[in-house]
Amino acid sequence: MKLIRRMFTIGAAAALVMSAGVSFAEETLNRVMSNGVLKVATDAAWAPQSFLNDDNEMDGFDVDVAREIAKRLGVEVEFVTPSWDIITAGNWNGRWDLSVGSMTPTIGRAEVLSFPAVYYFTPASVAVHADSPYESISDLNGLAVGATTASTFELYLQKDLEIDAEGVPAFEYQITAGENKSYRDSTAAMDDLRLGDGVRLNGMVGSLPAILNAIENNYPLRILGDPVFYEPLALAIDKGDQEFNDKLASIIADMQDEGVMSALSQKWYGIDYTAAR
Amino acid sequence: MLFADTVVSEPLVHKPKTLGIMLLVGLVVFSFFGLSDTIFGEFLRPVIGEPSESGLFGNVAVGLVVSMLFVGNVFLIGFLAFRIQVIVVWVELLLLFLAFFYSFELNYEFIQSKIWFMISQGVMTTLFISAVSIVLASILAIIGAVAKLSSNGFAFAIASFYTSFFRGLPLLMQVYLIYLGMPQLGYVIDAVPAGVLALTLCYGAYMTEIFRAGIQSISKGQWEASRSMGFGFGLTMRKIILPQAMPLIIPPTGNQFIAMLKDSSLVSVIGVWELMFLARTLGNKDFRHMEMLITAALIYWVMSMCLELIQSRIERHYRTKSH
Repeated sequence: MKLIRRMFTIGAAAALVMSAGVSFAEETLNRVMSNGVLKVATDAAWAPQSFLNDDNEMDGFDVDVAREIAKRLGVEVEFVTPSWDIITAGNWNGRWDLSVGSMTPTIGRAEVLSFPAVYYFTPASVAVHADSPYESISDLNGLAVGATTASTFELYLQKDLEIDAEGVPAFEYQITAGENKSYRDSTAAMDDLRLGDGVRLNGMVGSLPAILNAIENNYPLRILGDPVFYEPLALAIDKGDQEFNDKLASIIADMQDEGVMSALSQKWYGIDYTAAR
Repeated sequence: MLFADTVVSEPLVHKPKTLGIMLLVGLVVFSFFGLSDTIFGEFLRPVIGEPSESGLFGNVAVGLVVSMLFVGNVFLIGFLAFRIQVIVVWVELLLLFLAFFYSFELNYEFIQSKIWFMISQGVMTTLFISAVSIVLASILAIIGAVAKLSSNGFAFAIASFYTSFFRGLPLLMQVYLIYLGMPQLGYVIDAVPAGVLALTLCYGAYMTEIFRAGIQSISKGQWEASRSMGFGFGLTMRKIILPQAMPLIIPPTGNQFIAMLKDSSLVSVIGVWELMFLARTLGNKDFRHMEMLITAALIYWVMSMCLELIQSRIERHYRTKSH
């Protein structure tokens, strides 16, 4: 009897703990303001956008933008780092409030997420091994080309890239790869590419800043041709809170007008990426 | 040792025929790999000339030297006592391993600057998740084992459905399913509890089978004897069956714990900052992932070795108790 009673007590305690964690479907902005904390989802392995710095804290362009947004909302910022496909899957259920992760607003993603504001544009470029013979982007036709899984770069390779944002320059598909290889992140693709031309990969499509960052760190890569497209990069939130959406849009507009965004871009990339060319 | 032989004969590795065969096989294998462009080729430069131009002759010459080194090593170690042999071979393999890592030209300063964070944040989280999961999985496993041995069809059906389902899915998929699926049921689960839940359910299923096998291995006579003394089910289980089943259950359970320690790395996909997650992210900015991966690999290895030691202690404890 004693045992049974004890088990009931434990069960009741467990149920209490479980129910305490249930968050009710409340409006995102209200939740942020009442908790005083803006939970931001971002990648921890995507320098220079977001990474762990020497003090093992989150740092980078996206992280600085997120901090600035939180400051303008008057709340604290907190970072969570789920994998990219979990962020882009939508249905966050209040686990985090905002993604500042350089996300391209594609039509597919717009079905599950809202994009309050585009905050900068990065050129997407093709990289090959430094010793490879290719001269133009079309030389990679029929060869093995890599990109991050579920990224715009992979969509570009699959000729399935539809960007849902204003002010995006038109582009055309310049590669018909023989084999599309998917990677967990662009660093993994560059690690395969550095082994030599054709060892595992012949080329890759990735963001220009990331490739330049790798070249700076002695990766034997070079950029092939001009950028293949300019991708607008946006904040993303879960669907359903128009007020939060408008608030974020006005904060980004203010940051752009005051030159804060350009300054951050200069700080992290050395180039002002805040407008498309 | 499999079988203690009392017939004294020369060790196998001291017979000329064995040594000759080993030398020949080594020669063929090492020549086939073409080691003349490695450090051994550099040593033999006076004999074979420019290593890169020595061709087949160079490869065979280097193969012969490497093979002779190997056979000589085996021959010499053959003279030592068993314990010393084990230690010497361990040290040799370890040195080879270190030489292998050394050839990557790792940046040790970088490792030094990150290792403390890897331990204080990564190892602690990994150990926490594994320890909580193994305790919960053990409780689940006892309930599951009793249910699987029950004559109640309802209990048996639930337990066998559970073990079949959770042993039949990849753990990574369970992590995703729980993390993304639970909110659909109205409960938003955090990353760490989701990871613990996935590990608990998966390993609980495996351990159910271990516990069931352990309980079933106790002969029917034990049940009958305790029944005849008037013991009920609970008392028989606690006082008669489990104490005898434990020595059989402990070794595979220890294995499960070691396996779980490593499988907890799968939780990194939902953003838990455990050891694997840090290994993948800490080196990202400076492109030093090889450093971080090797450091994490060694940390995992050391942790597993500690657990193996603990396991053998527990096994010894139960062995002395039951015999």
